[in-house]
Amino acid sequence: MPAYKAPLRDMRFVLYELHQGETLAQLPGFEEMTPDLIDPVLDEAAKVCEEVLAPLNRSGDEEGCTYENGVVRTPKGFKQAYDLFREGGWTGIACDPDFGGQGLPKSVNTLVEEMICASNLSFGMYPGLSHGAYLAVHAHGSEELKERFLPKLVDGTWSGTMCLTEPHCGTDLGLCRTKAIPQDDGSYKITGTKIFISAGEHDLTENIIHLVLARLPDAPKGIKGISLFVVPKFLPKADGTPGSANGVSCGSIEHKMGIKGSATCVMNFDEASGWLVGEPHKGMRAMFTMMNTERLAVGIQGLGLAEASYQGAVAYARERLQGRSLSGTKHPDKPADPIIVHPDVRRMLLTMRSTIEGCRALGAWVAMALDRQHHSAEPQERQGAEDLVAVMTPVVKALFTDLGFEAVNHGLQVFGGHGYIREHGMEQLVRDARIAQVYEGTNGVQALDLIGRKLPAHAGRYLRAFFHPVSALIEAKVEDEQLGSFVQPLAKAFVRLQQATGQIARVGMAKPEEAAAAATDYLRLLGLVALAYMWVRMVEVALPKIGSPADSDGFYRAKVATARFYMERVLPQSGALFSAIMAGGQSMMAFEEDAF
Amino acid sequence: MAEIRKVGVIGAGVMGAGIAAQVANAGVPVVLLDVVPDAAAKAVEKMLKADPAPFMSKRAARLITPGNTEENLDLLADCDWIVEAIIERLDVKQALYARLETVRKAGSVVSSNTSTIPLAKLTEGLSQGFAGDFCITHFFNPPRYMRLLEVVKGEKTRAEAIEAVSRFSDVRLGKSVVACKDRPGFIANRLGVFWIQSAVVEAFDLGIEVEEADAVIGKPMGIPKTGVFGLIDLVGLDLMPHVMESMVGLLPPADPFHAYTRDLPLVRRMIADGYTGRKGKGGFYRINKAGGGKVKEAMSLSSGDYRPQRKADLELPKKLKALLSGDDRISRYAWRVLGQTLAYAAMLVPEAADDVASIDEAMRLGYNWKYGPFELIDQLGAAWVAEKLAKDGLPVPELLTLAGERSFYRVDNGRRQQLGRDGAYHDIARPEGVLMLADIKLASQPILKNGSAALWDVGDGVACFEFTSKMNALDPEIMALLGKSIKTVAKSFKALVIYNEGSNFSAGANLGLALFAANIAAWPEIEQIVAAGQETYRALKYAPFPVVGAPSGLALGGGCEILLHCDAVQAHAETYTGLVECGVGLIPGWGGCKEMLVRWSTLGKLPKGPMPPVIKVFETISTATVAKSAAEAKELLFLKPTDGVTMNRYRLLADAKAKALELVKDYVPPTPVELSLPGDSARVGMEMAVDGFLRLGKATKHDRVVAGALAEVLSGAGANADATRPLSEKDLLELERSRFMRLVRHPATLARIESILETGKPLRN
Repeated sequence: MPAYKAPLRDMRFVLYELHQGETLAQLPGFEEMTPDLIDPVLDEAAKVCEEVLAPLNRSGDEEGCTYENGVVRTPKGFKQAYDLFREGGWTGIACDPDFGGQGLPKSVNTLVEEMICASNLSFGMYPGLSHGAYLAVHAHGSEELKERFLPKLVDGTWSGTMCLTEPHCGTDLGLCRTKAIPQDDGSYKITGTKIFISAGEHDLTENIIHLVLARLPDAPKGIKGISLFVVPKFLPKADGTPGSANGVSCGSIEHKMGIKGSATCVMNFDEASGWLVGEPHKGMRAMFTMMNTERLAVGIQGLGLAEASYQGAVAYARERLQGRSLSGTKHPDKPADPIIVHPDVRRMLLTMRSTIEGCRALGAWVAMALDRQHHSAEPQERQGAEDLVAVMTPVVKALFTDLGFEAVNHGLQVFGGHGYIREHGMEQLVRDARIAQVYEGTNGVQALDLIGRKLPAHAGRYLRAFFHPVSALIEAKVEDEQLGSFVQPLAKAFVRLQQATGQIARVGMAKPEEAAAAATDYLRLLGLVALAYMWVRMVEVALPKIGSPADSDGFYRAKVATARFYMERVLPQSGALFSAIMAGGQSMMAFEEDAF
Repeated sequence: MAEIRKVGVIGAGVMGAGIAAQVANAGVPVVLLDVVPDAAAKAVEKMLKADPAPFMSKRAARLITPGNTEENLDLLADCDWIVEAIIERLDVKQALYARLETVRKAGSVVSSNTSTIPLAKLTEGLSQGFAGDFCITHFFNPPRYMRLLEVVKGEKTRAEAIEAVSRFSDVRLGKSVVACKDRPGFIANRLGVFWIQSAVVEAFDLGIEVEEADAVIGKPMGIPKTGVFGLIDLVGLDLMPHVMESMVGLLPPADPFHAYTRDLPLVRRMIADGYTGRKGKGGFYRINKAGGGKVKEAMSLSSGDYRPQRKADLELPKKLKALLSGDDRISRYAWRVLGQTLAYAAMLVPEAADDVASIDEAMRLGYNWKYGPFELIDQLGAAWVAEKLAKDGLPVPELLTLAGERSFYRVDNGRRQQLGRDGAYHDIARPEGVLMLADIKLASQPILKNGSAALWDVGDGVACFEFTSKMNALDPEIMALLGKSIKTVAKSFKALVIYNEGSNFSAGANLGLALFAANIAAWPEIEQIVAAGQETYRALKYAPFPVVGAPSGLALGGGCEILLHCDAVQAHAETYTGLVECGVGLIPGWGGCKEMLVRWSTLGKLPKGPMPPVIKVFETISTATVAKSAAEAKELLFLKPTDGVTMNRYRLLADAKAKALELVKDYVPPTPVELSLPGDSARVGMEMAVDGFLRLGKATKHDRVVAGALAEVLSGAGANADATRPLSEKDLLELERSRFMRLVRHPATLARIESILETGKPLRN
């Protein structure tokens, strides 16, 4: 497998040409975020990822993390790489400048995250979890907690975790048992066991800051009785350096299918001192404010791995000589034609490429909405952006990780038997990608979030943020001489989406189970339409440039050609999804349980 | 029987003045006298400004002749009915009665609105003739809106006197007359006060807080959500001891009422401190404005102090029986209060009323209970209630034992029957001239039906179209069935009545459906809904048979537009109708603009020319004006001058049916009209007017957008109309539709609809 090259050309296309990234600088707080500042960041990030992180990806997978007497060691080279990463300021690029961060827009950070995930997802987990902890404390912590913990999380000398899951409670966090007992000094003693804690224990930082969900003694039952606490591994001393140990220990690490360089820990809290973040019993609310950002980030993991796999697959398809083209020999000088001449190989490569580029565009659109949601001076714009983020968050998380997993499978398939052996790294991508469909809320739960919460909210107002732009584009361009042939398939799929939406809204009110039965197919249908919308908009940008000097490298020509493939070969899946949705859930729910 | 043509009311307090206003609302002249000079005139003035309005139309006030009892008693000389509503003192009342004897005409009826003094006492010592003309007529506050009238006949009262007053109160004043015996508190207050007192005393005893009490002794029992403590705040804490005292003094010592009359120091202290309820500094609930804020607080029954109001976070079982069966504090409380209230109700037959239906009617209309006590017993089972009472060591009323495993109500051969004291079932007779769809539905099957509407045969060749959707919201299913019904009626009936027995005729189109469709950009579907509604209403208007609309309660938006397409309307007096689409950022799209233009052009008493009707309709629709009565609806031409008004809700269907049959003879469908509209100059004029309001801050930015679209329709400018180029109805419908579609895409319109749906409040954006 060749070295990863960050797709900077396409990223710049998405950021500037498609989404007018230069307008970010018009948002209050982003005045300095001009291309002059952003471009070097992207270049530098690419360099770190290509030269520092990517080379450790396979060795990290081979070696994995090790556990001994409560101590967890990350794979060889991770510590040095982390120090470089930290010293380069990468742990704080998207953080608040008041706490030492660089305040980069989410839309730029999302591109950087893609590069990190593509080059070394296991490594990326450590700063990724820190960022989650940072977001929760930043949004809900007291000034004192922020002062104490944020600067170190931002500069990366300390890392963070999110401790939610317990042995008996995963998706249903209302069952959480970890206890928090108030102390006279205003702190709490936290006791309980958390599992599946990424970056729970490791050797990269001098301290680890755990954000822990726990129950106060007077807590109401269920999800409304959960509070959020910050619990450091070492209690910070007055001077801010780590002091004595705090009753937090790692019991073991999991043996996993993938992301083996990321330590997945069982964490034991034994009367550990912690401090309340936000209000008592409002822990879930505090968690949810960072959930949008985190779920978007998990979606980007799927995208990054797909990109890495695509690069490997294209290179291999060009080199690997097997058989002859069915339309006549293409390379008579060679013993066989490269497999890239074969339709089925092209099918796989273009499926990967069209979903990757579509997802990259869609991810950036949603990330930009997050930026506008938090920075726009216009209340209406903020509201519209928030609505779009609300409806698209479960879609990005589930669609990107599902399509990402399909893509890395295609990548492996292009390699044939060589993809299945470890040597080329293609099977690692499959193993690494699998977790993203599971954690941060399984993709099934994302689909339920979409149809159960997001779809009916405010009589469908969240949907408006997506449906209206699509409808407007179709109305404006369906007759367009050049764009029309791209818009028509979008229009067809969009009508299916509208009808399915109406059906789910109608049925869902009376029979929630019927709506739930349609959830996963519906999320995919909406996702495919969203990608089609992105593709039409990309074609709108690219078409006029074909044949111009700007297209000397064929970038725009390839863009339009990829769009054609997506519209003709991927989007038609919307028809099958539509049929399945409209068929209802009876065939599942009427199935006798004993017959399973 | 003497007909009542003129009424006198003595006492211009809240009740007296309100009764006089209702008589005037019926179009009957009324004399209003008070002991204080000018008090009556002032009361009329005050009522003209009051909200909710005692008058159905300001014009009604002219029918009241005010005066005082010292100088103007002779004004009563030609009154056929004199209602006394003065201070609750026997001596003062009797002195007045003696003076009345000198002025009133022979055969006139005198009644007292007393709530506390027995009839026997009132007539004590008065002449045989007076006693023969005397009865008690107990109205509820406010007299226009509360539909219960308790009538007590004395031993000596002439049957004709009772008949005359009852008939007048029923047909003209719109009251449901319930005959009561001469017992303290009659029916509604006897049971109502027992219910309130038991709920208060038990709350103290069982450690229930006021929010909890109101959450339980409220919606779960079909009782208004004000519950008990909220209701006391409304009527006044200080009133309760008075009412109670009067009853305590009059009820026999064995009456269970006495168990709940004990002194409550906290309540006594609250009254002494001026916390008498909403009229005072606050009551069990108050808004604490100390410190510049507005904090909702509630009185803690346990501590006796105000504290922030808490939402009663109770997870109550959905079924009433399950709620009453529970073993927890709240369930015990619910049972203690309701169980004994129901037992007390069962004891009131024959003590206070002849039959159970009277008691149920009194509680439904006097206390706004959704179900009367015997309907509640039927839900629970009389035997179940009896057994539970016995288990608590409480006496089981005879009537419950009599019922045993049977219910108090049943349907036999399509007729509603009630259980009598003889142990047999008896038909519940409707007064003459009353036709209820509910009865027809018990006895027959619908001719047509779908999920949102039904068509019924109401006899004599008349069909009745009923909305059955949630809140009677208009939706595509209603339009579909209405379209079908038009064909069926044309084939098999003589006329159609559009009527239902919901609390509101229809508050308009299903906005939730519309908003969702708009949010997912389902524009063709929305346009199809608009077009289908236009086509259906058009077909209704030109159907080969007469159509009579019979609304009661709200008839807004599309619910108003359907009435505009009827040949005639027979409206309940309490009909609140208007084209309110502009309030949600839309314009009437089902022919409402068109029909209002036609009405004001043909029926409006306006200066000549195409301009005045357009301006008048623009003012009415752009401000989303709602008529607050049928009388006001006539002034605004939502109703035609020839349309009928029915005062009594129960008589509406029969009146509408009669009206429809009247029209059947020689019926000719209306002929299509063309409208000469002023065109663009009028549009500019209307827009400039709105710009003026915008500058003054009386209109909002989006008001301007909506008014602009409305002006394009009403002026005809959107279809290039002018004086030489009249528009057909089809042109106008197309215009309505295109402007509606433009507005429904506007984010500000969608924000307005969302606000109405989610908060019930209009958004002024």
